[in-house]
Amino acid sequence: MQSFQELILRLQTFWAERGCVVQQPYDLEVGAGTMHPDTFLRVLGPEPWNVAYVQPSRRPADARYGENPFRLGKHYQLQVILKPSPKDVQAVYIDSLRALGVDLEIHDLRFEEDNWEAPTLGAWGVGWQVMLDGMEITQFTYFQQAGGIELEPISVEITYGLERITMFLGLSRSVYDVDWVPNGVDYGQVRHQDEVEFSKYYFEVADVGFLKARFDGHEAEARRCLEAGLVLPAYECALKCSHLFNVMDARGAVSVTERVALIKRVRNLAVACARQYVVSREELGFPLLAKNEESSLGKEAMEDVRD
Amino acid sequence: MSGTEFLLEVRSEEIPARMLEPAMRELATRLFEELMALNLAPAEMETGFTLRRLILMLKGLPSRESDREEEMVGPPVRAAFDAEGRPTRAAEGFARKCGVEVEALRRIETDKGEYLAATRSIVGRPTADVLAGMVPGIVEGLGWAKTMRWGIGEGPWVRPIHGVVALCDGEVVPMTVFDVESGCETSGHPVLSSRTFAIRGVSDYRRKMARRQIVVRFEERRQRLQDQLDEAADNLGGELVADAELLNRLTAICEIPGTVIGRFDPAFLSLPREILITSLRDHQSASTLESEGMLLPSFITVMDRPDDPEGRIKAGNEWVVAARLEDARFFFNEDRKTTLEQRKEKLDHVTFHAKLGSYADKTRRTTELTKEICESLDWQDVVEDGVAASNLLKVDLTSEMVKEFTSLQGNVGGLYAEREEYPAQVWQAIYDQYLPASTEDAIPRGRAGQATALADRIDTLVGMFGLGLLPSGSRDPFGLRRAGQGVVRILLEGDLSLDLDLIAAKSVLLFEDLMDRDGQEILSDLRPFLQDRVRHLLGLRGYAYDTIEAALTAGSSNLPDLLARVEALHKVREESDFLSVVLAAKRIANIVREAPQEDLEESRLKEPAERDLHDAAEALRNEIDQAEKQGDYEPGLRAIAKLSEPLDRFFVEVLVMDEDLELRSNRIALLQGIQRMISRTARLTEVVVDKSEHRGRAESKSSSQGRE
Repeated sequence: MQSFQELILRLQTFWAERGCVVQQPYDLEVGAGTMHPDTFLRVLGPEPWNVAYVQPSRRPADARYGENPFRLGKHYQLQVILKPSPKDVQAVYIDSLRALGVDLEIHDLRFEEDNWEAPTLGAWGVGWQVMLDGMEITQFTYFQQAGGIELEPISVEITYGLERITMFLGLSRSVYDVDWVPNGVDYGQVRHQDEVEFSKYYFEVADVGFLKARFDGHEAEARRCLEAGLVLPAYECALKCSHLFNVMDARGAVSVTERVALIKRVRNLAVACARQYVVSREELGFPLLAKNEESSLGKEAMEDVRD
Repeated sequence: MSGTEFLLEVRSEEIPARMLEPAMRELATRLFEELMALNLAPAEMETGFTLRRLILMLKGLPSRESDREEEMVGPPVRAAFDAEGRPTRAAEGFARKCGVEVEALRRIETDKGEYLAATRSIVGRPTADVLAGMVPGIVEGLGWAKTMRWGIGEGPWVRPIHGVVALCDGEVVPMTVFDVESGCETSGHPVLSSRTFAIRGVSDYRRKMARRQIVVRFEERRQRLQDQLDEAADNLGGELVADAELLNRLTAICEIPGTVIGRFDPAFLSLPREILITSLRDHQSASTLESEGMLLPSFITVMDRPDDPEGRIKAGNEWVVAARLEDARFFFNEDRKTTLEQRKEKLDHVTFHAKLGSYADKTRRTTELTKEICESLDWQDVVEDGVAASNLLKVDLTSEMVKEFTSLQGNVGGLYAEREEYPAQVWQAIYDQYLPASTEDAIPRGRAGQATALADRIDTLVGMFGLGLLPSGSRDPFGLRRAGQGVVRILLEGDLSLDLDLIAAKSVLLFEDLMDRDGQEILSDLRPFLQDRVRHLLGLRGYAYDTIEAALTAGSSNLPDLLARVEALHKVREESDFLSVVLAAKRIANIVREAPQEDLEESRLKEPAERDLHDAAEALRNEIDQAEKQGDYEPGLRAIAKLSEPLDRFFVEVLVMDEDLELRSNRIALLQGIQRMISRTARLTEVVVDKSEHRGRAESKSSSQGRE
C-alpha cells in the first residue's frame, strides 16, 4: 500500500521535474491551498508562475472528534498552479497519476463538470472533479477570476486530496488507518489527538467574544497595512479573518444575517489585496516577466484593475 | 451515395454532460441552414457526440456552388461615351468589373434614362471552400451555458479545444478554430487509446472509432447502456428504478459505454428508499434496483471503458458508495434527534424573501390560507390535518438531509413526519407539497395535501406579484409559472370548485403591509397570469384555442366549471345548427356593438320572422336557464342550437336597421336579449368558424340562405 508521505514525495518530485517551484505550506491557518498567496495572488497579473506545494487546510465545520472515518477538521492538499495553463495539462495530470503508481489500465478515470466559486475571494473558475472509480480524487480548475479581477493569462489549478487518494488506493475503511510512513507510523498516530482536541475547541470551547475581537482587530490591521502599501501583511490579516470566521461559524455563533455581513467583510479585504498586489507587481516591473514579454498583456490587466 | 461528403470532428477537453446535446443541435442546425441558404444542403446529415467530441457527417453535398449570372447596371450612357463616341473611363471600368469587353455592354432604358448594363457570370465556389469559411464562425459562436478562457486568453468556449478534423472527400479543409488548425488527425480515449491517428473520411472515421470501442452516436450509446443495465438487472433478479434523465446523463459521461455493478451493506436498506435512490443517483450517478417494490442492496453505474479487468473499479465504487451511504445515515440520525415541532423555530432564521419575511412568516400565512381554502370548499373534516401539515410544511429546510439533497425538499419532511407517527393525511401532505413538479407528476394524493399545496403556491404567487416580481420572457427566477401551473392542475385534476379570486384576495390580506402594491393591482395581474396557465394546460389536453377562449371570456368562478363549459362546447361546436347560431352571434355582435341598451316591446314585433324568433327564444328560455344554472352545459348549448332556423330566417327576412327608429330599436332590443341568452356558457363570438366548410353544410340544409 502506498503511504501518505510517499504520495507527497512522488507528487512533489513529479511536479518539480516539470519545472514547478516546490513551495512549502503557508504558515497560517487557511481553508484551502487556493488561499496560499502563491496561488491567490500569483494568478493575478501577467507574470508566468508554476508552483507545487502541500497545504494543510482547515475546515472547522467538518471536524468530527476523530470519530468519522472520512471527515477531518484539517486535511492536506497538494496544490499545483500552472500559469499560463499549458495545452497538454490534462495529459500531464494523467501522467502524474501514473507516477503515483495508479495503473490506469485497470481503473476508470473520468472528468465530471465541477465549477468552482469562492465568494470570500471574489474568485471563480471552470473545470472538473476528477473521478477515479467513482471517487473524487482531484479538483481541476481553470481560474477565470480572482479578487474580482478577470484573469489573463489563465492559470490552471490542480488540487489533489491527499488523504482521499491514499485511502482510496488502499481501500482503507478509515483515514486513521492509513500508513503515514511505509509500514510504520499511521495517520491516526500522527493526527488523531489533533482532530479530537480541535473538534472540542471549535464546537465547545472557542471564546466567541475573543474570536470576534480578533476578527475586528485583524480587519483593522489589514486596512492599515493596505494604507501603508504593504499588501502581503494585509493579505495575512485577511486570511486570519477568514479562518476566524470559519471557527465562529462552526461554533454556531454566527446568525444568518451576520454570516452574510462577515463574508462580505472578508471578501472586501481579499479584493482590496488583489488589486493592490497587481499594482505592487507593476511597480516592481513584473519581475517574473521575461524582458521581451513585457507585452500589452500587462497593460490590459492594469486597465482592468484601475476600472 | 453520390456527391461530396464532409466530416467534422471538434475534439476538446471534457464538455459538461448537460451542455452536449443542445450544442450539437445548434451546430448541426446552423451549418445546415447556412448551407441551405447557398443551395448546398446535404442529402444526408448525421451527428454524433461524446463528452470529448462533436461530430458532423454530411453526405450527398453538391461539390460546388452552381455558377450563376448577375445583372449589373453601370453608368448612364451619356457619361459612358465622349463626344466622339469613344468609351470613357467610367465605361471601361464597368466593363472590367463585369469581366467583358466594352463592346459587349448593353443599353437599357430606366426611368432615369438610358444606362449601360451587362450580365456578369459568377463561378460557384467549391463546397470545401465554402465550408472552410463557414465552419469556424459557427463552432466558435456556439451558445454555451457557461464559457471559459484558457492559456494566454484563448476562447471563450466551453473547454479548451484540442483538434479539428475537417475532411471533404478525404481532403483536409483548411481552417483555424481559435488556436487550432484543422487536419486529418484525431485521438481516441485519453487513457486507453490516446495515440493520434489519421482519418480518411466518414466511413474510415467510423471504423477507426469502433476499433477503439468509442461509440460516437448518442442514441446508440444509450441503447447499449440500456441493454447492459437491463441484463445486469435481470442477473440480479430485479428491475431498474426507472429514471430516463439518469440514463441520458450516464450516456453523456462516457464514450466507451461500460457498466459496473456493485453491492452495498443491506443494513443501509433501513434508510428511506428516496434517500438511498437520491444519494446513489446524485453522488454516484448510479442506478438503483428493485424487486416487488423493495430496493435491492445493489447499484449499477457507468464507466468510460469496456471492462473492469481486475475488479478494482467495482471495489472502488463500492467503497465510495459505502462512504456516501454512511454520510446519509449520519444525516438521517442527526436530523431525527430533533422532532419537526422542535425544529420549527429554526424557520425564523431561514429567509423566504427579504421583503416577505422568513419561512416562519410564510408558514403562518400558509396555515391561515389552508383554513380558508378548506372552508371555501366545505371541507370541515380536512381543516385539522391541513393545518397540521401547513404548520410543518417547510421545517425540513432546516434538516441536514435537505441541505445535502435539495431535490428531496418536502419528501424528507414527509418521511420524518411519517416516522413521528403523524396521520397519513398529514405526512403525505408534507411529502407531496411540491407535486406536480413536472408534467408527468400526479397532484398531491389527499385533500389535506391539495389544500396545503394550493395555499403554499398561492402565497408565493401573491407575495411575489405583490413585489412586482412577475416572470418575463424566459426569466422566472422564483419558478412562478410552475407554481401557477401547479395551482391550475390541482384544481382541474382534483375537481376542486375553488373560487381563486376570493382565495387570492384573502391571501393578499395575510401579507398585511409587507407588499409594495395594492390588492387590486396584484389580482388584476394574477388573473391573466393564471388564465395563461389554463390556456396552456387545456391546450395540452387537446382543446382548440378558440374553444378555451370562448369559455374563458364567458367568465367562470372556478376551474372545474370552466372545464365543463370547454368540454360541452368542444362536443357541440361542429354541429351545423350550432355553427349557424355561432355565425348569427357574430352578426348580432356587429349590429349591436354600438347600440345603447334597448327595451323590447312585444307589441312592436311586426314581421312574422321576428315574432317567430322571439317566440322560439321565449320557449327555450327556461330550458337554457336551467341548464346553465345546473351546469348542464352540453344540453344548454344544444338548446341554443335550436335557435338556428329562426335566427337564419330573421336575418333573411327582417331588416334590423329599419328607417323607422322605433322598429329599429325594438329589433336591437330583441337581438340584445338573444345575445345575452346564448352567450352565458361560452362567448360564441370567440369561436372561429371555417366558413367555406360551414357554407357547404348550411346550403345543403337550406338552399335559400345566403351568407356573407
